[in-house]
Amino acid sequence: MGKKMLNFEEQCKILNLLKSSSEQKSIEEMLTEFFTNPKLRHFNVCYSLSLLLQDKMMLSSTERLVAFAILHRSYSSQKSAANPFISFLVNAACDEGAENYERAFILHLLGFGNSNSSKEFLKQSASEYIKKFDPSSQTFPQKEQLQKQYLEKAHPEPYACLLKSTAVKNVLADPDVPPGCDANSAEFDLEPGAKSKLGSGDRDEALSGLIANLSLEGLIPHWIRPLPPRFPVDEELVWLNPDNNHELQWDQGMCADTSRGAAVRDLIAKALRGPLAPNQQEQVLVELAKDPKLVYHCGLTPRKLPELVESNPLIAVDVLIKLINSPEIAEYFTVLVNMDMSLHSMEVVNRLTTAVELPKEFVRTYITNCISSCENIKDKYMQNRLVRLVCVFLQSLIRNRIIDVKDLFIEVQAFCIEFSRIREAAGLFRLLKTLE
Amino acid sequence: MDLRDSSPSSTPNRDGNAGDDDGVLSVTSALAKDAALYFQSRKFAECVDVLNQLNSKKENDPKVLHNIAIAEFFRDGCSDPKKLLEVLNNVKKRSEELALASGEQVESGSNIGNNITSGSKGSGTTTSLPASNCASIIYADEFDSSVASLNIAVIWFYLHEYAKALSVLEHVYQNIEPIDETTALHICLLLLDVLLACRDASKSADVLNYMEKAFGVGNVSQGENDLAASVNASESPLSRTLSEDPLDEMFSTLDIGGQNLARHTGLTSANDLPRITVDRSISGVDLKLKLQLYKVRLLLLTRNVKLAKREVKHAMNIARGRDSSMALFLKAQLEYARGNHRKAIKLLMASSNRTDAAMSSMFNNNLGCIYYQLGKYHTSAVFFSKALSNCSSLQKEKPLKLLTFSQDKSLLITYNCGLQYLACGKPLLAAHCFQKASLVFYKRPLMWLRLAECCLMAVEKGLVKGSWAPSDRSEVRVSVIGKGRRRRLLIENGTTRNRHVDSVERDVWALGDDGQPKLSLPLARQCLYNALHLLNCSELSNSKSILPSDSSLEENELSDGASSKNSNYKNLPSNDSKASTMPAALINLNGDLKEPKGGTNQEGIQTFISYYEDICRRENQMIKQALLANLAYVELELENPLKALSAARALLELPGCSRIYVFLGHVYLAEALCLLNKPKEAAEHLSIYLSGESNIKLPFGLEDCEQWRVKKHIDCEEANVGAAAAKNSSPEGLEDFMFLKPDEARGTLYANLAAVSAIQGDLERAHHFVTQALSLVPDSSEATMTAIYVDLMLGKSQEAVSKLKHCSHVRFLPSNQQFNKSS
Repeated sequence: MGKKMLNFEEQCKILNLLKSSSEQKSIEEMLTEFFTNPKLRHFNVCYSLSLLLQDKMMLSSTERLVAFAILHRSYSSQKSAANPFISFLVNAACDEGAENYERAFILHLLGFGNSNSSKEFLKQSASEYIKKFDPSSQTFPQKEQLQKQYLEKAHPEPYACLLKSTAVKNVLADPDVPPGCDANSAEFDLEPGAKSKLGSGDRDEALSGLIANLSLEGLIPHWIRPLPPRFPVDEELVWLNPDNNHELQWDQGMCADTSRGAAVRDLIAKALRGPLAPNQQEQVLVELAKDPKLVYHCGLTPRKLPELVESNPLIAVDVLIKLINSPEIAEYFTVLVNMDMSLHSMEVVNRLTTAVELPKEFVRTYITNCISSCENIKDKYMQNRLVRLVCVFLQSLIRNRIIDVKDLFIEVQAFCIEFSRIREAAGLFRLLKTLE
Repeated sequence: MDLRDSSPSSTPNRDGNAGDDDGVLSVTSALAKDAALYFQSRKFAECVDVLNQLNSKKENDPKVLHNIAIAEFFRDGCSDPKKLLEVLNNVKKRSEELALASGEQVESGSNIGNNITSGSKGSGTTTSLPASNCASIIYADEFDSSVASLNIAVIWFYLHEYAKALSVLEHVYQNIEPIDETTALHICLLLLDVLLACRDASKSADVLNYMEKAFGVGNVSQGENDLAASVNASESPLSRTLSEDPLDEMFSTLDIGGQNLARHTGLTSANDLPRITVDRSISGVDLKLKLQLYKVRLLLLTRNVKLAKREVKHAMNIARGRDSSMALFLKAQLEYARGNHRKAIKLLMASSNRTDAAMSSMFNNNLGCIYYQLGKYHTSAVFFSKALSNCSSLQKEKPLKLLTFSQDKSLLITYNCGLQYLACGKPLLAAHCFQKASLVFYKRPLMWLRLAECCLMAVEKGLVKGSWAPSDRSEVRVSVIGKGRRRRLLIENGTTRNRHVDSVERDVWALGDDGQPKLSLPLARQCLYNALHLLNCSELSNSKSILPSDSSLEENELSDGASSKNSNYKNLPSNDSKASTMPAALINLNGDLKEPKGGTNQEGIQTFISYYEDICRRENQMIKQALLANLAYVELELENPLKALSAARALLELPGCSRIYVFLGHVYLAEALCLLNKPKEAAEHLSIYLSGESNIKLPFGLEDCEQWRVKKHIDCEEANVGAAAAKNSSPEGLEDFMFLKPDEARGTLYANLAAVSAIQGDLERAHHFVTQALSLVPDSSEATMTAIYVDLMLGKSQEAVSKLKHCSHVRFLPSNQQFNKSS
C-alpha cells in the first residue's frame, strides 16, 4: 500500500547498477548507461539511494561510490546549490566515521580544490579508485568551509509542511541475530554456497526488498483526528397521521347573479348624499344583517366614509362594526379620526366604543381632536353646543370605562376649567374629581 | 378635512361590468346550475360538456375556465396535477387583472384621500393609526380569485410543496374577511394543515385563534373555558349600562332611529364575529372536532405534552361515535413523544384499519418509529419496508384520487428508512434513501447533515473508491525486509493514511452506475455547506418579524386595547367579569384557564410558543455545531487546513457550544494550525485542557455524553419498562451512539500534544505526553506511531522496535510478496 517511490523499471535499473559496480567498468561508463533512460525520475532514484546510503550496512563500498556519483550526476547540469542532495553529500564528505576514500571521492565529485582534473577520476572503476586511493594525498576541509562553498547560495527552502518536513526515516534496523552477537559483524553474512545458519541474512534479498518498498514519506508524528459523532436522532423520525381531506372546490361564483345586494348598493350610494328615510335605513340594516359579506360589496370605501357619517351615522356605525375584521378597518379609523368634529361623528364613535374594541390610540386621538375643535370654534353658540356634546361624550366614555382617565387627565381637566361656565363641563370636572 | 369632496359618480356599478342582458344571463346561470349539479354528482364528462357550452357564451370568463379545469382534472382521473396548476394560475392571473381594471375604474380618486391622511399624520394629531396598504380592494365577486387560489394551494399541498402552498394561502388569508364562508373555511383548514406541515407554531396558533372566532365553534361547546361564551358574558353588562347614560337621551333627542337594532347587530357580530356556517359539508361538531385535533397537533408540534394530553382527551370525547382514527393516531403520537412506547403501540393497534393501504402504511411507519426509538433497528426496518410496500400498492390503485398524492407518504417513510440504515451502519443504502427523500426534505438542514454523515461513514468503512478499509486505517503496516542481521522494518503507515484527494473526481455530484451521486468527501463538504446555508437563511428570517400579515397586526393592536381595559377594571369596584376578549382566544389552548388568571392567558399562549421557538433555536444551534465540526473534519481530510481552521474557529465561537463539540473544535483547530506550520498556536489550543505543567483534564464528562444521547424523558408509569428496553436495545443496536469516552478524549489530547511537542522539537515533553496517551488509548495506532517517532528522534531505535512489536495494531508483512506485486 502507500505510495511506492520507485516503479519496477527503476528498481531493476538501480539493482543492476549496484550489482555492476563491482565489475571493471569505469564509473563514467556506468553513469552514462544509467542515465540513458529519459523517463527516469531523478529525485525518486536519488532519494532511494540516499536512504540506502544512510544505512551503512546495506551497500558495499563500491556500490556506495557509484551511488554517490549518481546523486551528484543527476543534478550536475545545475548549480551545486540546486542539488536537493547537496547537503547530504556535504555531510557525507565530512563524516568522520566514513572511509577516507569515500570522503575523498565525494570531494572529487564536488570538484573541491582541484577543478582541473575534474572528470579524470571517473574514468576508472570504483574498485580501482579504492585500490589506488592514497590517504596522504587528500586533505579534508572543515564542514563549515564546504557548507560555505556549496550551500550558501542555496535557495531558501520552499514551503513545506512542518509535520512532513520533520519526518524521520521510516526504515528501522531489526537485526535478527542471536542475543549477545554483534549485528555488524560480517560473520553472519551468507557465503555463497554455504549453509544458512541462525542470524544469517542475504544482503541482496534485503536490498531488493528495500528498494521495492521504499516510500517517499518518512515517519512523522501522528495526529489523532476523531470522527465527529453522528447527530442524535431525536424528533427527527417522521410520524405519520391521517390527512385531512382537502377537495378541489367548484367555484360557485360562476355566472352567479351579480345583482346580489344591488338594492343596498343603491341605498348606500344615496345615503352618501343625504339622510335616508327611516324605512330605507331599516332596509339597509336588515339586508346587511342577512348577508355578513354584503358589507364588503356595498360600495363603501374609506374615502366615502365621512359622507356616510354625516348623512346617516347609524348606517355608518353598523357598517364599521361589520368591517371590524376587515384588513381595511385601520384605514377607516384613520379617516374617521381626521374628519371634522360633528355631532354625528361623535355619535358614531360613541356607539362604536360600546360595541367593539377600538384601538386605544384611536380613541385618545379622537378625544384630543374633540377638545381642540372646541377651542378653535369661533361661533359662541356652536361652541357651547359642541362643548356640551364633548362633555357628555367624555362622561359616557369614562363611565363605560372605554378610556383610562389617567391617560388624558391633564388635558381633560384643562378643558373643563376653560369651559367651566358650561354646566356639563362642571359636571365632567366633578366626575374627574371623584375618580381621583 | 376635504374627504367629503369625492365625486359621487364613482359609485361602483357592478351590474354594468357584467355587460349581459337579462336573456343571456338567465341562460348562462341555468347552464351554470346544470354544470354544478353534474359536478356534485361526479358526472365530470357531462359537466365538462355543459361548461364548454357556457364557455362559448361567456368567452374567457375566468370562473368558467376555472371550473372547466377542475372538472377535466377529475374526468381524467387526477392524472396531471401540474397541468391543472398551470391553468389555475392563468385563471388567477386573469381574474386579478380584471379586478384591478375594474378597481381602477371605481377608485380613480383614492390617491387624494391617501395624501390627506398621511399629511395629517405628519402634523402629529394622529399618531399610531397606520393606514394599511391602500390597495383599494374592490370585493367584486366576479373577479374574486380566492377559489382558484385555494385550489392551487390544495394541489401544492398534495404534492407536498408546502412552502408554495403557504405563499398562496397566506396571501388569501390576509384578505379573508370578504370571502364567503365555505371558501374561507376551506382556506383556513388548508392553511392550518400547511402551517403545521411547515412546523410554524405561531402562525398556526394565529389561524386557529381566528377560526375559533370566525366560525363560532366556541358556541357549539358548553365548557366554561369557551371563548365566545365568556366574551358575550363580559360584554352584555356593558351594553346594558349604556342605556342608562344621559348622553343617550341627549343624542336621541337630536337624532334617533333604529338605534336598538344597531346595538343588537353590533353585539352579535362585533367581537367574535361568528360566520354563519352555511357550509353543509361540515357540521358544527365535525368542525369542532377538526379544530380540536388541529389544536392537539399544534401542541404536539410545540412539544407541550401535558396540554396535548388534556386536549386529546377532549378530542376523544368529541369524536365519540365518529371515525376517530386521526384522534387515535394523535394520541399514539402523544404517548410516543412521552416515551410510553408500549402504550403508543396499543393505541395504534386499536386504530388501524388494516384493509386500507394508506392507513396501514402510516400504521407501519409509526411502528417503525417506535421500534427505532426502542433501539430495535432491524424490527423497525421491517416495519418501514412494509409501510413502503403499502405505499406502492396505493399507487397502483385505480381510479386515482387526488388524496392519493398526499397519501403517498413514501418519501417521508423513505427518510425514516435512511435514518434506520444509518443507525445500522449502512451508509450507501441510507444515502440512497436520503437522496430520494430530498425531493421533500431539501430545505431541511438536518437532511443534508445526514447525507454528509453517510459520506463520512462510507469513507470510514472503506466503501468509497480510494478510501481505506477500516482495518487498514487503524493499522500500522510494517514490511519486514531481509533476514538476519540485515533485517529491516519498513513502517508503511506513513502520511498516506487517509488521503482521498487524488482518488476523487472533480465533479462533486458525479453519478455512479446506479444513477446516484457517489459518496465522497467532497460531496460531504457540499452537503454540509448546503445545510449551513439553509440554517443561516432560517436564522435570518426568524430574526425578522414573524407574521407580517395585516390580520395579525390588527389583532395585536386590538389586544393592546384589551389588556389596557383589563388593567382599568382592576381600579374600579364591582367588576367581576375579568375574562379578556379577543386576544385571549387561545385560552382554550391553555388548559389552565379554570384558574381565574384574567389577562395571563395571552401570556400563556405566548410562553408556550416562545418556549417552542426556544427549543427550535437550541436544536438549530446543536445542528450548527454538528455541521461545523463535520465540516472541519472533512476539510482536514481533504487537506484544506485553512478551511478547516475557519470551520473549527466558527464552531468554537458558537454560543453555548456543547463540551464535546468544544473538544472537537480545539482538536481540529490545533491540527489545522499544525498543518499550517503554527505548532505553537496549536499547542496553545490544546493546552487549555492542561492543568499544571503536564497533566490534562477530562475535556468533557460522562454527563455530557448522556446529555448528548438525549433519551426522551420517560414517563414514570413506564419508567421501568423504558429503562429495560433501553438496556435490551444495546445488543441489537449495532451502531449505537459511538464517540470517544471522556478518558479516550483525554488520551487523544495527550497524543496530539505529544505530536505538537515533537514537531516543535521538544522531545522530552513529547515523550512524556505520548507515554500518558498510550496508557489511556493503548490501541491507538496514531499514538503508537508518535511514540515510535519520538523514540527514533531520541535515537532509541531499540525501544521503537520493541514498541512496534508490542503494539496490537501492527501487521507485519513479508517483503518478498510485496516485491512481486509492486508496480
